Amino acid sequence: MTVGPGGVFSRAEGTDEFLLEADDVVKHFPVRGGAFGRSHAAVKAVDGVSFSLRAGETLGLVGESGCGKSTLARLITGLHPVTSGHVRFKGQDITSLQRRQLRPLRRSMQMVFQDPYGSLNPRRRVGSILSDPFSVHEHLSRAEVRRRVQELMARVGLSPEHYNRFPSEFSGGQRQRIGIARALALRPSLIVCDEPVSALDVSIQAQILNLLEDLQAEFMLTYIFIAHDLSVVRHVSNRLAVMYLGKLVETGPTEEIYLNSRHPYTASLLSAVPVADRAFRSERRERIILTGDVPSPVDPPSGCRFHPRCPKAQAVCAVQEPALERKSGDPDGHLTACHFPVVAGEALANASRETAGVTGSGPAEAVHP
Amino acid sequence: MSALRADELEIVEEKDPELNEQQFESRTPWRLAWRRLKKDRVAMVSLGFIVLLILVSLFAPLLTALIGHGPNTQYTTRGLSLSGIPVGPGHNGFLLGTDDQGRDVLSRIIYGSRISLEVGIGATFLALLLGVVVGLFAGYYGGFLDSVLGRFMDILLSFPILLLAIAIVARFGPSLGLLIVVISLFSWPYIGRLVRGQVISLREREFVEAARALGASDLRIMFVEIAPNLVALAVIYATLLIPVNIVLEATLSFLGLGVQPPTASWGNMIAEAQTGDLFTVAWWFLVFPCVALVLTTLAFNLLGDGLRDALDPRYGRSHISPAKRVRRAFRVRRTPPAPEPAEAKA
Repeated sequence: MTVGPGGVFSRAEGTDEFLLEADDVVKHFPVRGGAFGRSHAAVKAVDGVSFSLRAGETLGLVGESGCGKSTLARLITGLHPVTSGHVRFKGQDITSLQRRQLRPLRRSMQMVFQDPYGSLNPRRRVGSILSDPFSVHEHLSRAEVRRRVQELMARVGLSPEHYNRFPSEFSGGQRQRIGIARALALRPSLIVCDEPVSALDVSIQAQILNLLEDLQAEFMLTYIFIAHDLSVVRHVSNRLAVMYLGKLVETGPTEEIYLNSRHPYTASLLSAVPVADRAFRSERRERIILTGDVPSPVDPPSGCRFHPRCPKAQAVCAVQEPALERKSGDPDGHLTACHFPVVAGEALANASRETAGVTGSGPAEAVHP
Repeated sequence: MSALRADELEIVEEKDPELNEQQFESRTPWRLAWRRLKKDRVAMVSLGFIVLLILVSLFAPLLTALIGHGPNTQYTTRGLSLSGIPVGPGHNGFLLGTDDQGRDVLSRIIYGSRISLEVGIGATFLALLLGVVVGLFAGYYGGFLDSVLGRFMDILLSFPILLLAIAIVARFGPSLGLLIVVISLFSWPYIGRLVRGQVISLREREFVEAARALGASDLRIMFVEIAPNLVALAVIYATLLIPVNIVLEATLSFLGLGVQPPTASWGNMIAEAQTGDLFTVAWWFLVFPCVALVLTTLAFNLLGDGLRDALDPRYGRSHISPAKRVRRAFRVRRTPPAPEPAEAKA
């Protein structure tokens, strides 16, 4: 295990095979309305996302609420059918599979859900919830299932004697451990974590993150880690993908993006991360405050979707959609979808003031330390 | 103060560590509900009455043997006065008097409770089975299947049940089994619609998605994941449906379509009593079956209300006085009320 720039979570360098590839994945949810319930519009939740993931990596997926992160997670795991595009898992296209054909793949692809209160059935005992993976996929004796479930509970730090309890008898952190145990039961190779700690207290968050980290090392797991807490993502992931309104705007090695973000949206997100210790605040930590709201995914802006809120937007941004590509001076794997990528040391907060009239949005505020 | 409390807590733990563990252990949804129900005196009295009624109907032969009067025996000498008037309550060893044919009213009520409970519980059980299964499928799959099943339930509910029951009984002849089937046939759509609504909201819950992510089949999701969450609803609703079905049985028997004389049923006892005007002199053989019917219906309704509060504490109603709850239960109900309190409590 090599300790890469992303922290202890990286182990991947060296493997060539992609575990997971998403190729121009699109998901539109039809909006029904009118007298006959015909769909006349669609929520473009995920609109052409491509990325690939190697075994052992942790991909952090960040973006505002409603940008399509969770939808993307459900497309990857085959919970929702894609509108178009392909998802390949271990080389096999899962988007064309029927639900029945998808079943064997479920063993190696699991999900941890955001809400530890909603993701566990309140009327079933924990032992029964945790034996689900075995009863769905394996034919084991009752005693064997019980033994494995208790083993699992012990592994994620729960007391195996609590086998007969209901979810309501556990705390949020413990419940999330149950959710993790369920995902882990069949020894998957990929676990998609959909904001697994955002519903938990900060002190509990750290415990859960450490558990995930330990499990990754122990079971050679690959994670897709969805979050909106950037400090959490920085801690766990070695690659980062930033989403805005259903599209990837920037992707690359985590530290590279943190130190050298090229997309104005990424830059503004990172500038919003609070830093507790003044000594660690560098000069470039100027807060960029975006104006306006996230536009509706039913009718996204033309050209670059970020242009109405972008401090650097120019006429071309409203017309031409920028491709996700490597910008000059960036290392391989760092891709940005922007016509005018941010250069190091650029003062975006000031730029936003100057271009405020051009973009048509209200004046942006810059907060200086 | 706080130090003192900490001390007390410690002492409790030292004394009996098992006790604490046990208290924690018992926090299952059902035990919590039972604890809430136990505090509800109205519901507990109703529950007691129902348990008593069930025991009475189970041991009906034993009880009538103890009383010494069979339900269908006509005591023409002891049970009727010389002019043919029924004997009043307490006379000649007839606790509740006799009817126009000199039969013991108490024994008949005891045997009638068997019919009422058999039909009430049997029909409700069948209705529950059908309603839950159909509601599960309609709610889970939605779309076309939901439309078809939904229309079907609406059609059944819009049928004039008594007319149809008359037609069916006329065709097949009256029998207890048919009575149960006919009653359940017309009461399951209430449960079906209710379950459907609940399933529609349950299927969007994250634990269903989690089951899907595990590769669970639709049937497994419906019956292992969703169905346990319907139990509370089903228990409440069944308790409220039982009295409706008991009254329905009485109605059909009253009309001569249900249990046939001389077998005693509360419905045909009332029917027989109100033919002629003997009851103006001998009120007891009309009033006592009515009282039995009303008390039973009331008990089930009040227990259902209590269960609703206990199983779904979000809608606490403990502020409503017992008297008001009894009055509320007396309101005429053609159909059992929906467990979701649509009528705002506040």
